[in-house]
Amino acid sequence: MDYTKQEFMAVITGREIKDGELIILGVGLSMLAGYFAKLNHAPNLRPFTEGGVYGSTPVGGLPWGIECNRISSNATSFTNAIDALGFLVLSGRADNGVIGAAQVDKYGNVNTTGLWDDPPWKAGRYNPPRIRLNGSGGASDIAVGCKRYLIMVSHEKRRFMERVDYVSSVGFLTGGDSREKCGFPGGGPAAIISTLGILRPDPETKEFYLEAYYPSTTIDEVKASTSWDLKIPQDVKIVPEPTEEELKNLRTVDTTGSLRKSG
Amino acid sequence: MQNKLISIQEAVANYTWDGMTYCNGAALPVGSCSIAFGKEMVKQKRKNLNVICHCGSQQVNLLAAVGAVDRVEVGFSGLEVYGFAAGLNRAISSGETLIEDYSNGAMALRFFGGAMNWPFVPATVSIHNDQQWCSADYLDEYPCKRKIPEITDPFTGKKYGAFRTIRPDVAAIHVTMADIYGNAIMLGTEWSRFEMSRASQKVVLVADKIVHTDCMRQYPNLVRIISEVVDAVVYWPYVSWPQASPGLYDSDEEHMYYMNKMMKTQEDTDTFCDLYVNNWDSHEEYMALIGKDKIEKISQTATAFLMDPYKKWIRSDAEIRELQDRTKG
Repeated sequence: MDYTKQEFMAVITGREIKDGELIILGVGLSMLAGYFAKLNHAPNLRPFTEGGVYGSTPVGGLPWGIECNRISSNATSFTNAIDALGFLVLSGRADNGVIGAAQVDKYGNVNTTGLWDDPPWKAGRYNPPRIRLNGSGGASDIAVGCKRYLIMVSHEKRRFMERVDYVSSVGFLTGGDSREKCGFPGGGPAAIISTLGILRPDPETKEFYLEAYYPSTTIDEVKASTSWDLKIPQDVKIVPEPTEEELKNLRTVDTTGSLRKSG
Repeated sequence: MQNKLISIQEAVANYTWDGMTYCNGAALPVGSCSIAFGKEMVKQKRKNLNVICHCGSQQVNLLAAVGAVDRVEVGFSGLEVYGFAAGLNRAISSGETLIEDYSNGAMALRFFGGAMNWPFVPATVSIHNDQQWCSADYLDEYPCKRKIPEITDPFTGKKYGAFRTIRPDVAAIHVTMADIYGNAIMLGTEWSRFEMSRASQKVVLVADKIVHTDCMRQYPNLVRIISEVVDAVVYWPYVSWPQASPGLYDSDEEHMYYMNKMMKTQEDTDTFCDLYVNNWDSHEEYMALIGKDKIEKISQTATAFLMDPYKKWIRSDAEIRELQDRTKG
């Protein structure tokens, strides 16, 4: 079957989304995975955006933003940031969320803020980044407040870091019970879905290990694309390929073919 | 009630100044933003701004690209699917603009706290991460303890972060429609425009449409910004271009990419300003720059039906001109 790695990642993320969940979706891959799930197997999914756009389905292609007109032509309610991110997410009410990452570490901490030659934790100073990214947006709120959330990221060594340059959105901090001690309402990242496989947190150490990899790759390739010493359990699985039905549904959502273009 | 209609030139001259703390509308990067107001600020050569964006947009992208921004506070600085904000990022990487990061939820809470005139708000977000440990105001302190200090809930003993609230000098807020007194209805997400309008010390509304006050009397529940907190109203159709205004126009895909590309270098930013910032005064000239075909295209939005209930109250350009003339000394 012909599909791109990005499409595979969107389908796998979609499979992690359960019917009936109250879920907050961001732009791009996050929305595609969420609306794919709704069409494919979760008709009662309740998606919303951090702008407070409720009850809508994208029209005319992948929305340019969480407030874009493509997501605003069939909404049942428009509210605001304090409602969506405050009352529904930071309060601990939302079931699930999907966020992206420029870098992720072995405890699921995410950087979307900037890239440094000498990151602040190393320099002991907040120097300007070599490359500024976007900041956290609502991802930091999702990471704190959602009951669980999913991280989608392209699997490359420079992105899968022992320690990220800057923690924009908290995962399990330094592992173990370090997140629990902070008293966040949400439970933390349930999985990292990459372009090579699915990573899960160890229940005790909270370090992410490889649960399953895609048929198109090998364990060696996954390990070589990860900066930390990725643990591979005995019963590591191979992720079932997207079915024809899944791809059809994904492409119905991704009408502009953004996932096919991005390889 | 007082007729508050003034021109965009007067609004920028009277309500903005060098070194001020300026909010540009609690916009989102693709949606509603008072972008033409920011262009007028560039024309009037405002500088040393402290911009509080919530989310960035093409407005702060431009202001930073021309070197007008010393410091910016954001939850998100990019242009969503349109990419990273090239002008703002150039100013940040060069050190010309200092950036103070929070989460979007923390920004919303800080506006809420400012609207309440509280000194701080407690929250569990933006703590135990680099948004707490990196501060634009204390660059040498890492991990910084002063940006979001830890506080203890007196009832449970639980630890929270204390967030400084926001009381900007002025906010220029985009609204879909306003009456001449400053009552406004916003279509699409209002993001934090409701809180921002109460947190800011002065508020200028920039409206795509001016409507009769009878419209507000028909839908008073939808009037989220009230004349009480508004100082001036500017009528400027397509103010958010190249971004979108739900109910009225879509984002201009071609110009969104073009503008951001031009912000990458100083030279191209200057060219962009020659073409799209410094060569209009009247609204007719501004519209001519967008172009008739483009206006037609972006106005064919799938959200157009959202305007149906309000159409009968929209005031004509001639009427608005006359009303605006009445406010001139």
